[in-house]
Amino acid sequence: MIISVASGKGGTGKTTVAVALAKSINYCQFIDYDVEAPNADLFLKPDIKHVKKITIKQPYFLTDINKSFKVCADFCHYNAVAAINNEVIFFSELCHGCGGCILVGPQGSVREREVEIGEIRKGFSPPGINFLMGDLKPGNMRTTAIQNELEKNIEHDSHVIIDCPPGNSCSMVMAVESSDFCILVTEPTPFGLNDLIISIKVLKNLEIPFGVIINRFGIGNDEVLNYCRSNNIKILSKIPNDLGIAEYYSQGLSLIDFDSAWKDKFINIISEIGKEIPAK
Amino acid sequence: MKQITIISGKGGTGKTTLASSFIKLASSQIAVDCDVDAANLYILLNPSNTKVEKFIGGAKAEVTGNCINCGKCEDLCRFEAISDSLKSIKIDKLKCESCGVCEYICPTQAIELKTEAQGEFYVSDTDICPFVHAKLDPGAENSGLLVTRIRNIAEDLAYANNKDLIIIDGAPGIGCSVIASLNGVDYTFIVTEPTLSGISDFKKIFEVTKFFNIKSFVCVNKFDINLKNTNDIEKFCSKNNIEMLGYIPYDEKVPKNLSDKKIIIDDQSSKAGSEIINIWDKLKNYLYE
Repeated sequence: MIISVASGKGGTGKTTVAVALAKSINYCQFIDYDVEAPNADLFLKPDIKHVKKITIKQPYFLTDINKSFKVCADFCHYNAVAAINNEVIFFSELCHGCGGCILVGPQGSVREREVEIGEIRKGFSPPGINFLMGDLKPGNMRTTAIQNELEKNIEHDSHVIIDCPPGNSCSMVMAVESSDFCILVTEPTPFGLNDLIISIKVLKNLEIPFGVIINRFGIGNDEVLNYCRSNNIKILSKIPNDLGIAEYYSQGLSLIDFDSAWKDKFINIISEIGKEIPAK
Repeated sequence: MKQITIISGKGGTGKTTLASSFIKLASSQIAVDCDVDAANLYILLNPSNTKVEKFIGGAKAEVTGNCINCGKCEDLCRFEAISDSLKSIKIDKLKCESCGVCEYICPTQAIELKTEAQGEFYVSDTDICPFVHAKLDPGAENSGLLVTRIRNIAEDLAYANNKDLIIIDGAPGIGCSVIASLNGVDYTFIVTEPTLSGISDFKKIFEVTKFFNIKSFVCVNKFDINLKNTNDIEKFCSKNNIEMLGYIPYDEKVPKNLSDKKIIIDDQSSKAGSEIINIWDKLKNYLYE
């Protein structure tokens, strides 16, 4: 069973919920798909044993008085290549590494080298959490390229918890795509509700079953609660607004460290989710 | 004319709370919301008289002709978006990065890059100032392209109306839409919080601003949740020459005002609101110099 934890709005408690789930079942794979701002390692404190650098191929140009690279500039869909007379200006941060300029450019004059865009790390957090995360290097935009590497390392035979990036764009889709169920974490404010409604649309398009956890319950207003009720959306849990939880969070301590009663609650949530997933 | 982007790395640290306050306190300004896949600023700015345009995103490869299943495109696709099936190749739209290599190499011209609408963007009036915003379709790509599009519109609007300042509410993370929201701005304003996650993401977003050589200002939101961590942020800032503009206290009035769709600085009893006004008083010296 693969459970993803997502939220359109950032900072609503995705990592709090994902970590609490993992610490409740203890034996699982945990994947931090938020490669732009990964944080779950601060809570699970895994012993990192394996680091793999992720690289993409990027071109370099052997300029020559008799050669023009205008074809490369014309071809590049990312505007990463500009050719002026026989000179080339290459914008590395725009390049996706598609290799198109090598195909169309003067033969032998466009070469490639490996450029690092980030890394994935594997580790272990006792008693039985296999930890996996990606980390995009600052200045890079290839979020989904790092996520692709994570996808190849999903342990489909075990329970898997996926901590998603915020938002409702392609990087969120990449993270929830392979899950059997998605937990949407929100907060009871107009911002939380606005972004929850967009996330629900994404999951409906992908036909992934989902339920909602309302975090910081007590702040804001009742609109999220009413929305879920009138649209028959399952509310899996409400986590109260509590400064104590926030203080624990600030130090890298989990909801279960704060109050061990949450462990049983999350085990119940998982068995609830089990009932929601259609048999394959 | 100056441009400033409000960012954080970590989500939910208070970007929109700060951005809406600055927009209200500024003069001769244009507001832009660059968090296009979870846009929230409109909730507080209450736009009217909105002009809508479709956003046509990057083109995706599609089999439109007679595929002979030669496999050339599959071999060359660097994004593993093309796979073999019985009669014709299959293209995974989510993995396709619109590079055009498959279209170029296809011996039977069976592949075409096709654009489609991936969202909308808007130019609106508000009680405060002109407002440029957008909505990416749920789950869509090319958020960076959409951010660039609305920023260009905001710049044109600023020049046409002799405005002095563009205030940009950014997205969380450090990826394409954030980078597009930083391209060519004069300053960034980073909102962080005294949690280990907040600090970790602050350091990453600061690396991004250094990479693009943009001066950053910082404030710590909810600083009193963990004073030791706030102290660590302060030390990091002074070591790296980042100008700290203020410390906003935890204040239940922030979500309360948010629920009433009110900008926090309008609540004179809010201690968070009055600290934001102090921060603006320091920041504005740079924005209107």
